[in-house]
Amino acid sequence: MTFYAPNGRVRPVRLSESTRQFAWDSLNQKYGQDALKTMAISMDDLENYESMTKLERYDEAIYRIATQAPIRICPDEKLSGAATLGMAINHRVPATYGGKTVTYSISHLTIDFETVVKYGVNHIRAKAEAALQTHLGTEREPFARSCIHCLNCLDLWHQRYLDALSSMPGYEANYRNLQRVPHQPASNFYEAVQSIWFIFAFNRLCGNWPGVGRLDYLLGDYLEKDLRDGTVTLDEAREILAHFFIKGCEWITGNSNFQNGSGDAQHYQNILLCGIDENGKEVTNQVTYLALDVLEELGISDYPTSVRLNANTDPKLLRRLAEVMRYGGGILAVYGEDTVIDSLTKYGYSLTEARKFANDGCWEVQVPGKTFFAYIPFDSLRVLQEKTLKGYAPDRAFDSFEDLYAAYLVNVQEAVEAIYRDRTSKLLKPNFREHEWQWGEQKPCTVISLFEGGCIESGHSYVEGGPVYNVLSPHIGGLADAVNSLYVIKKLVFDEKKLSFAELMTVLTNNWEGNEPLRQYVIKTYPLYGNDNDEVDAIYARLLNDFSAFCRQLDGRCDYKFPAGVSTFGRQLEWAPFRMASPHGRRAHEVLAGNTSPTPGSDREGATAIIRSYCKADLVNLPTGAALDLKLLPSSVEGEDGLDALVALLQGFVALGGFFMQPDVVDASVLREAQEHPEDYQNLSVRVSGWNARFVTLCKEWQDMVIDQHEKG
Amino acid sequence: MKKDNLISVTEIQRFCMHDGPGVRTTVFLKGCPLRCAWCHNPETQSTAQQILYYPQKCIGCGACVAVCPRGAHRLTEDAHLFDRALCQGCRACVAACCSGALEPSRKEMTVEEILTVVEKDRAFYGALGGITLSGGEPMAQPENALALLRECRRRGIGTAMETCGYFDASYLEALVPLVDLFLWDFKDGNPARHREYTGVDPARIRQNLCRVDALGGVSVLRCIMVKGVNMQEDHYEAIASLWHSLQHCKHVELLPYHAYGGSKMIPLGMEDNGRREWIPSEEDMETAKNILIKKGIRLK
Ligand code: SF4
Ligand code: SF4
Ligand code: SF4
Repeated sequence: MTFYAPNGRVRPVRLSESTRQFAWDSLNQKYGQDALKTMAISMDDLENYESMTKLERYDEAIYRIATQAPIRICPDEKLSGAATLGMAINHRVPATYGGKTVTYSISHLTIDFETVVKYGVNHIRAKAEAALQTHLGTEREPFARSCIHCLNCLDLWHQRYLDALSSMPGYEANYRNLQRVPHQPASNFYEAVQSIWFIFAFNRLCGNWPGVGRLDYLLGDYLEKDLRDGTVTLDEAREILAHFFIKGCEWITGNSNFQNGSGDAQHYQNILLCGIDENGKEVTNQVTYLALDVLEELGISDYPTSVRLNANTDPKLLRRLAEVMRYGGGILAVYGEDTVIDSLTKYGYSLTEARKFANDGCWEVQVPGKTFFAYIPFDSLRVLQEKTLKGYAPDRAFDSFEDLYAAYLVNVQEAVEAIYRDRTSKLLKPNFREHEWQWGEQKPCTVISLFEGGCIESGHSYVEGGPVYNVLSPHIGGLADAVNSLYVIKKLVFDEKKLSFAELMTVLTNNWEGNEPLRQYVIKTYPLYGNDNDEVDAIYARLLNDFSAFCRQLDGRCDYKFPAGVSTFGRQLEWAPFRMASPHGRRAHEVLAGNTSPTPGSDREGATAIIRSYCKADLVNLPTGAALDLKLLPSSVEGEDGLDALVALLQGFVALGGFFMQPDVVDASVLREAQEHPEDYQNLSVRVSGWNARFVTLCKEWQDMVIDQHEKG
Repeated sequence: MKKDNLISVTEIQRFCMHDGPGVRTTVFLKGCPLRCAWCHNPETQSTAQQILYYPQKCIGCGACVAVCPRGAHRLTEDAHLFDRALCQGCRACVAACCSGALEPSRKEMTVEEILTVVEKDRAFYGALGGITLSGGEPMAQPENALALLRECRRRGIGTAMETCGYFDASYLEALVPLVDLFLWDFKDGNPARHREYTGVDPARIRQNLCRVDALGGVSVLRCIMVKGVNMQEDHYEAIASLWHSLQHCKHVELLPYHAYGGSKMIPLGMEDNGRREWIPSEEDMETAKNILIKKGIRLK
């Protein structure tokens, strides 16, 4: 069993053979394939289905899932409960009528595991029963009843596991734990892990994709107490935690979940580690280090894991993080938590709430367990090309850069307003107006609502304004390329007057055809966003400020929050077919920059310059975040020097006010790609002890040699 | 001729991890008194302006042909011919070239201009990182190197210098207090071979290093291992005696020869002189390490 590391680095072995075997099976799709055998529970026998309300259908679906979904108990597993229905892997409630799914499910949130672990599901039931009394006879009564119903379903599913385990030798600990959790407060570390897992698994069984949140924050105190009492050893605790990670791989099937290529995160099952708690005290504890051990040993990337760093983060911890990062695969991402917390408090959250931040399952920031979250992306490059420049109409002309920029801003504002109008029309109750806001009816989602603060009390589901915070975040995409386009127009047309506006429009309409020298000149001459060039970075910072101001103008007009963010995820692929040639030398339909990262191949100055450019914007004005993807070559992080460098990068990122960064130590395969598509990797530098060169300037033989060197590690 | 206050630089590279501790910005100064047969940065040897030509980037637009006052560029049906013997380094073709296929190997920069670049990464230097002067041989421009180092000291930026050690000893007293770490290339302990493969006698290099050490300069010895040339007992013995005579040497680093330097000969219009037979195998390196460890040397 060799757990994959992109760069052939050898992973340490700390876990027991049976745990490693379990991981091996899970990572190699054993359980994912098993789930595909039972895609969903059928509701076809329901005679009155057509006459049932949506909520009644949903309730019936949850009942059938809880009572009929296969029970799975894996060999030697330390935690019980499994999301065994295949359709859930596709983000659907896995129950069908006439072959069609009953309803979609919920993702992009981190649910309230803290209440589950600390107070138990019984506490939630008490809340639900009280709420039902309040809502009796009102419009909210059906939802309040659905809450009780779904808790009953959870109990039924729980009982099925108890029944199965009671007679199975070797699972005594599982049985004992389940007798207590998740209903009662966990009394030790093992129970706490089981409690979180069981509720996580139940939500996933019902088709939802919640994030996990701050695992070390949730579990640290339990482990500390057990270690003090001598009831568990670190090695035992590591095994238990490893099973949590391994069981989270039960949905690996080898199929892509999204056919549209948007590249969204696995199943949004994110974990956050480190950072301060609501009182400002550092959370990092033994659980943090155990989780890092597990990630390092098994290379599990299915829980996209991030760490919250601040100016005071222990250098020892940074070094440990760097060691784990070095295995590659983008296994750990980082938040600059001071910036995040500033941003949230500036936006209006209390300091206590802001300090609790986790994410939505991707990297967008939210207060976990009480936030409805959705983001709506738009392509700012397309806005520039289609709206401001009218598809490069030959009569399009501006007298100055400021004129052009002003016209562009109008279009960006229109795009933001369109998003606001569109969402409002979808969420507002028909016949109501925005200032007298009432949430309109949406698809039922009671199960997830049970674990989102505010829903039970208010009698409103997760998507109908139930949670304490309701956030719709417009996300600007295509940022680097819009900025680079503006910058190059400024230089070429207005500053250097190399050609007229109309001439440039013609060049672009022709997709640079017949203008290769000009295209080359542009590529060679202008350092684009990501090269620490103040002139272009100023346009970047300005555009982000203006965009976030537009969002702020609309914020507060109704019941949902409207904070700004930046993202594309993988949408740069979907957007490519709609994009024309761009002024910074790119041809039509090229796949351009993702998130807040530079245009591919345009970064010539290396990692520190990219971070500097990115940090020049007021990132605090982007309360849901702005992600920077950073690719590092294995050779640059080799040895002790490499670890120092990685630590220095993290510290610099935090010191400069970075928000979120996904560093990735890339595989030598990038070099192969660069060999095949040199145009995309014009400035990839390679370095071998004292020697360095831009890769694409090497002849094939040399390139092969460098690749060979990198593959050897 | 260049003005005194301008520094000849081939390149400034940010985010360097292997030129001293932490994250470093490496400034490659142009000019070197040695001519090592294994040189990995041949473009830094000569002080002259050499135009680098990257055939892969050339799109055959002909702009360089039109502007060159000496007729050094020619385009034929299937090739771009560049006769460097005619070139006088005026850079007209570099400015005209749209694609970046032509680049100057020498840029003239002031201390201030260099420091502006170096300052950019201050947030990443932390307690360890800073500037590394490399080359070429930084001390081939002694006044310039000192001026740069002095300014870094003044601004509190860490300093390291990679050197072949062959320079005017009269600068040592001024130099040593300005450098946190010397990365000292020790190429061959056998004087005859040293002369044959680098073109100079090693005596001065050794004297300079001992003087640096006596003045309290901290150093790391970097020894390139060239199979069939210096991977010999007499060299190992010389490394050992040097190591044992130094008070402030942190460790010895063995760097296996690689043939990559040859790749840079092509843009310079020289023949690729990379010698595959000189590349030591991993076992060769292990053997060398073991020999040196037995001699009581601390290796990195
Ligand atoms: S000392 Fe360094 S730069 Fe000078 S010739 Fe030798 S290897 Fe090249
Ligand atoms: S540098 Fe001047 S002389 Fe040399 S090739 Fe270019 S244009 Fe001709
Ligand atoms: S100017 Fe540049 S691209 Fe044009 S022919 Fe000369 S070297 Fe080639």
